[in-house]
Amino acid sequence: MLRRVVGLGAAVLLSSFAVFLVPFVSPGDPVRSLLRARMDIGEADEATVQAYADQFGLHDPMLVQFGRWLGQFFSGDMGLSYISGTPVADQVLPAIGVTLSLAGTALLVAVLVSILLGVLSATCAGAWPDKLITSATHALIAIPEYALAPLLVLLFAVRWSLLPSAGFDSPASMVLPVFILSLRPISFFTVAVRSGVHQAVDSEHVLAARARGLSRTQALIRHVIPHGLLPLWTMVGVWFAGLLGGSVIVEVIFAIPGMGRLIFDAITDADIPVAQGGVVVVVTCAVLATGIIDVVHKLSDPNVRIGVRHG
Amino acid sequence: MKLGQLRVAAGFAAIALALTACSSTSTSSASNATADKDARVVVANFRAPVSNWALESDDAYVLSIAGCLETLTKYDQTEKKVEPMLATSWKQTSDTVWEFDLRKNVKFQDGTAFDAKAVTSAMNHVLKATAPARAVNPKTIKKVEAVDADTVRVTTPAADPLLPYRMASVNAGVLSPAAYTSKGIDPMNHCTGPFTPVSEKSGQSLTLDRNENYWDGDVKLAGGEIRYITEGATRATQVQTGEADISMSIPATSLATLEADSKISVLKADSPRTSTLYLNNSRAPFDDVNLRKAATMSLDLPAMAASIYEGAAQPATGPFAPSEPWANSDLAVPAVNIEEAKKLVEASDYKQDKPLEIIAITERAEFAGVGAIIQEQFKQIGLKANVVTKSYGSVEPDVLAGKYDMILSQRNRMIDIADPIGFLQADYTCEGGYNLSHYCNKDYDKLISEALTENDQTKRNDLYRQAGDILAEDAANVWLVNEQAIDGVGNQVQGYVQDPLTRYVLTKDLAKTK
Repeated sequence: MLRRVVGLGAAVLLSSFAVFLVPFVSPGDPVRSLLRARMDIGEADEATVQAYADQFGLHDPMLVQFGRWLGQFFSGDMGLSYISGTPVADQVLPAIGVTLSLAGTALLVAVLVSILLGVLSATCAGAWPDKLITSATHALIAIPEYALAPLLVLLFAVRWSLLPSAGFDSPASMVLPVFILSLRPISFFTVAVRSGVHQAVDSEHVLAARARGLSRTQALIRHVIPHGLLPLWTMVGVWFAGLLGGSVIVEVIFAIPGMGRLIFDAITDADIPVAQGGVVVVVTCAVLATGIIDVVHKLSDPNVRIGVRHG
Repeated sequence: MKLGQLRVAAGFAAIALALTACSSTSTSSASNATADKDARVVVANFRAPVSNWALESDDAYVLSIAGCLETLTKYDQTEKKVEPMLATSWKQTSDTVWEFDLRKNVKFQDGTAFDAKAVTSAMNHVLKATAPARAVNPKTIKKVEAVDADTVRVTTPAADPLLPYRMASVNAGVLSPAAYTSKGIDPMNHCTGPFTPVSEKSGQSLTLDRNENYWDGDVKLAGGEIRYITEGATRATQVQTGEADISMSIPATSLATLEADSKISVLKADSPRTSTLYLNNSRAPFDDVNLRKAATMSLDLPAMAASIYEGAAQPATGPFAPSEPWANSDLAVPAVNIEEAKKLVEASDYKQDKPLEIIAITERAEFAGVGAIIQEQFKQIGLKANVVTKSYGSVEPDVLAGKYDMILSQRNRMIDIADPIGFLQADYTCEGGYNLSHYCNKDYDKLISEALTENDQTKRNDLYRQAGDILAEDAANVWLVNEQAIDGVGNQVQGYVQDPLTRYVLTKDLAKTK
C-alpha cells in the first residue's frame, strides 16, 4: 500500500513537471500565447505582456515557478488558470466528471461485448464464428477515430436523424462517442479473452472439473471464463488510464468538454496550471483505477486467491 | 488538376463569386409563415468563453452574440456607420472630450437602473484590466466620469475621432454593477439586451430567455441557446441535422454540402480578413520592390481561391476587401505575368544559392496547401522556396524581429472597432507595433497620421484608400484572398442579419416559424 502511495506521488510529480517544462522548451513567448487565447491578440505591447507576466510571476526562473506550484499543490490548492483567472479545480473537476463517465461507459461496453465475443470465439475456435470475430476485431483496430466518427455522424445524425451529432447533455448524446471509444478496446479485449479462455479450456483444473462430472457449460462458467478473463482486467486498467486523457479527437468532434480536450487546449495555450492540475487528476485516477483492477485481478485469480488464503 | 484546368475553374468560380458576394450583409428570407412566439433558436458558435466572462476578453463577443451585452453605440454593418444603442446621442465638446447622453427608459435585467454611474463603473472596470481590450484601454481612454445621471463624459489622451466606434466595441459593453464580483463577471440576469442568460453548461452552452422588459420593444423569440462548438465540421453538421438553427463560421470544406441542402440558407459576406503572404521588406531579397512585384505577378489568385478555398474566398485586389468603403474599386486582381516576373527576378540581386522559406502557420490548415501552390508558381519565375509549417506562437518572435523571408498569415482589419485605423497603423507604419512585413514608407505614415485626427468619415476613408494604394504600389505583401464569413441558417429562421464582425446574432427581431 505504502509503495503504491509513493508510486502515485512520484508519477504525479514527474508528469506534472513534464507538463510544466512544455512552455520552457517550446519556441515563442508563453505570455503571448496566453494573451492570444484570451483575445486573439496579436499586437500585445510589451507593457501588457510584462503586466500579465508579473500578475502570475511568469518571468520568474523555472524552478521558482515550479516550487511555487508545488507549495500550492501540497496545501490543497491547484492554483488559478492563467487565462480565466479562476481556480483550476473549477475547470478540472467538471471535465474529469465528464471524462470518467465517458471512459467508464466505453470500457464497460467494451468489457461486456468483448467477453461475449471472446468466449464465443474461443469456444468455436477454428469455426466460422471464430474466423468472423477475429477478422472483425483486426479490422476495428485499424479504423482511426477521426475517420469513423464523421462517418457515424453522417449516418446516425444526418441521414437517419436517430442520434445527436454533438454535445454531452443526454444519454442519446453519449451513444456515438461511447461506441467509437469502445471499438478499439473491444478489439484488444476480445483477442485477450479469446486467448485466455482458449488456454483455460485445456488447463488441468478444467479437465479435472470435467472429470468430476461438471457439464461443459458448468465448467465454462465456473472455471474457464473466470480464468480466461484474467488478462482482461490488466488491460482494462491500462485502457482506462489511456482514455482519461487520450480521447481528445472524440471530444473535439463531439464538442464534449472532457479532460483530454482541456489538457490539450491548456498546453497549446500555455495555461500551465490547468494543464498541471489536469495531469495530476488524470494520473491520480489512473493509478487508483489500476489499484482497483489489481484487487479485482487478485480476487478473480484462483491461484492468487489460494496463495492469499494460505499465505 | 493541371494549372490550365485550375485557371478555367477559377474563372467560373470568380464569376460565380462576383455574382453571389456583392453585398457585405445578407438577410435570411424565410417563408412568410407566422413566427412562433414560443420558439427558441439554437446557435452553434465557433467561440467558447475561456476567460470567466471578462469583458476585456473575447468572451464579450459570446455575450453580445447571445443578445445579452449591449454597448452605448452600435456599428451598423449595412449603413456602415455608428448608431445609437444605450446612448441616444453624443457630441465632442473638445478635441479630447466626448459626452454621451444615455437612454432613459433602460433597466438592467435585475431591475436596477441603467445610469451614468453604472456606465462609469463598467468602463472603469475594463480600463483597469491587466490585459486590456484592444479598443478600450488606458491608451485610448483616459477617464470616464458621470456628468449627471444620464450623461457620461469620456476623455481621451489625444484627439480621437474614432471614440464612438470604440464605444461600439463589445469590450465596452455595460452590465449591472452586481455583475462585477470579486470572483469575476457574472452575466446571469445582469444585462440590458433582449435576452437574459439563465443558465450555463460549463464548456458546452449558454441558455437565454426573452427579456420581457426590453427597452427596444417586443422580443420575438421565447429564448435561445448558444452552443460552444469550436470544430467547424461539427457546426456544419448541427445546422444540417436541425440541432442548431444557425451555425456560424462554416468551413470551406462543408460549404458545398450545405449549399446542396434545401433546408438551409448559406449566407456569405466579406470578412475583414485577407489571407496574406507577408514578405520581409527589411532584408534581401524582398527589400527589393521589383522582386516583391515579381512575386505578386507570379501567383494565380483566382485559381487559388477556387481550389484551396473551394470558392469560400475571393481573390484579393489589394489590402482591403472590395466591399469595404475605403477600398479602391479601380484595383483589379493582379494579373499573372510570368514573363515580366521572370525579367524582374533576373534583373534583381536574388541568387538561387539558398532557398527562401515560406512559413505556413499550423493554426490555418489550408496554408500548407497555399504554400505548396506558391512554391510551384514561384518556380516558374526562378524563385526557389521551401514551405515549412510551424505554429504561429513559435515563429512570432522571429517574425517581429525581421528574421524570416515569408509567412502566410491573416489579420483582422477591424480589430474590435469597425474602422481599419488600428490595423493600418500597427501593421504598416514605420513604428507600427505589429509590422510583420517591416514595411516603411514616410508618405504612407503621413496619410495615417492625418487619418488619426480626421473627424469626417468620408475624408478618413479617402485617406485609407490612398494609404492602401501606396501599399499596393509598393507591393508590401502579396494579398492572396479575401476570406468570407459563412453562416448556415435553417429555413425556419426569420430576420437573421449576418454580421461579418460576429457581434450580433440573437436580436429582438430574430424569429422562428413553427
